[in-house]
Amino acid sequence: MKRRIDLGLLYSRSGSYSLISEACRMGVLTAVAEVNGDPALDISFAPVERDPGGNIDLYGPLCEEILRTSGARHVIGGVTSWSRKEVIPTLERARGTLWYVLPYEGFEASDHVVYTHACPNQHLLPLMSWTFAGFGRRGYLTGSNYIWGWEMNRLARELIADAGGEVLGERYLPIGSTDIRRMIEEIRATRPDFILNNLIGDTQYTFLQAYAELGREDAHFRPATCPVLSCNLTECELPAIGDAAEGLIAVGPYFRFAAGQPQPGRFGSSHEASAHAAVWMLARLLTGRPGAETLPISALLSEAAAAGIGVDARTHHTVLPALVGQVRGGRFEVIKDFGRIAGDPWLTRGRGLPVLSPKLRAVT
Amino acid sequence: MRRRVRSQNLGGARAVLLHRPHPTVQALERQLHAIGLVAEQCWPELPASVLAADFVFFDADHGHDSQFPWQAGAAPMPMIALIGSEAPGRIEWALNAGADAQLVKPIGDGGAFSALLTARAAFDARQALAAEIEALRQRLDQRQTVVRAVAMLMGMGKTEDEAYGQLRAMAMAWRISFEAAAERVVAAQRPPRAEGGQDG
Repeated sequence: MKRRIDLGLLYSRSGSYSLISEACRMGVLTAVAEVNGDPALDISFAPVERDPGGNIDLYGPLCEEILRTSGARHVIGGVTSWSRKEVIPTLERARGTLWYVLPYEGFEASDHVVYTHACPNQHLLPLMSWTFAGFGRRGYLTGSNYIWGWEMNRLARELIADAGGEVLGERYLPIGSTDIRRMIEEIRATRPDFILNNLIGDTQYTFLQAYAELGREDAHFRPATCPVLSCNLTECELPAIGDAAEGLIAVGPYFRFAAGQPQPGRFGSSHEASAHAAVWMLARLLTGRPGAETLPISALLSEAAAAGIGVDARTHHTVLPALVGQVRGGRFEVIKDFGRIAGDPWLTRGRGLPVLSPKLRAVT
Repeated sequence: MRRRVRSQNLGGARAVLLHRPHPTVQALERQLHAIGLVAEQCWPELPASVLAADFVFFDADHGHDSQFPWQAGAAPMPMIALIGSEAPGRIEWALNAGADAQLVKPIGDGGAFSALLTARAAFDARQALAAEIEALRQRLDQRQTVVRAVAMLMGMGKTEDEAYGQLRAMAMAWRISFEAAAERVVAAQRPPRAEGGQDG
């Protein structure tokens, strides 16, 4: 007889980043079905779902509603860092836990959040190292106007400065805005070595279309000489980008069809894989331990049984592969593997970039 | 002043928590460990090793001056007050003790990182100002010496501008400050040679 445990689910199924929400939901629901069908586990999960519809002000109240009206103490959800920060006070009051399954900007280790995707030492640092060695240190930084873009670009600015490079421009647009002309004009004028893309949703899709168009006009703005780099782009958004995705670079812990990975093709994207992993980590923390579902995550992680789960009890971050992928023929191919890296949200172990020897560039 | 706070690397920094054992201390320790600091709780005495600490958090509710092995306000590291009671007298004491930042109790899931960065920025700014004031004060004290040195050089038939120029040339040749050059001139009690070769 399985113990039935309520599990909160808080994703926006409409709005600017719904493709990412759907990928995460898919990962969660797949894992829930697996857990529920696994006779070796004495638990089953019952999803309790709320949909904020892309409205940032609904995350707090809906998270509170899940925790108040059901037995759920664990909630999986939130796409933007903004929404994550919105629900933390609610979780703190109710001693609940958020499983946040997307890459984020670091400098956080809430006692009420588990971070199962990458933070900057697992995405931006390896990506910048790879870029500096192969393309140069003159960057143009873009972002949507909220904490992800601001913090990612701030850290990128520091990394570029430390490497003796130069930031040629830094520009932000409101979430949902598609007015990317000025960005494109600045890039055309400054001719950077790379573009760091921290735009999200429709802004990003419009920008990538326009940049691909720029590349057709001027050969400098093509992937071989001035690539667009992302720390959060995955397969789940490729359909919205279309042909303009060709040549895009992204860093991530998983790419769907990359050779040499466990279970190639099993998940649609690293977002889906990360959400799937979160459910399984939680299942392993709770199985065989009646009553554990009411404990705060800090108590669960401090016990011996948590040792093999893969969540660091000090920071609530995980160990992940750091792979640089490039879209080639419509799918990501891994072009650099940095191995597995433990999440270090405050860059406690320093910000030293993995050293790569510069790629020789043809002089023309 | 616009200051750019780098996300400095706090990994391995040492923090001393001067507070009796309490859930607030546990919550603070958890935050500090997650950020990468080494934290040490003590009460009511500070260990001698506190002088090597990078940060001191102190209880503003029950703390008193004699707990600190330095003059009030002269801590050699950034200090962060842990404030429970917001009684004006306690806040005044915490400020006089040299609080560069504060955290309000009860401490929960956040606040430590911003307190660390704020305290360090305030401490650094205070240190830089103190050093600048000290340097200016010294130069002020030497003003009379400069006037005497210029007067001595003018006594040799130079105009005031020429005397200043010569003093400046000597300071450059000796690679010392203008004021220090004046001091040497006065100390020598005789007009030195402009070449100033004796100091190499």
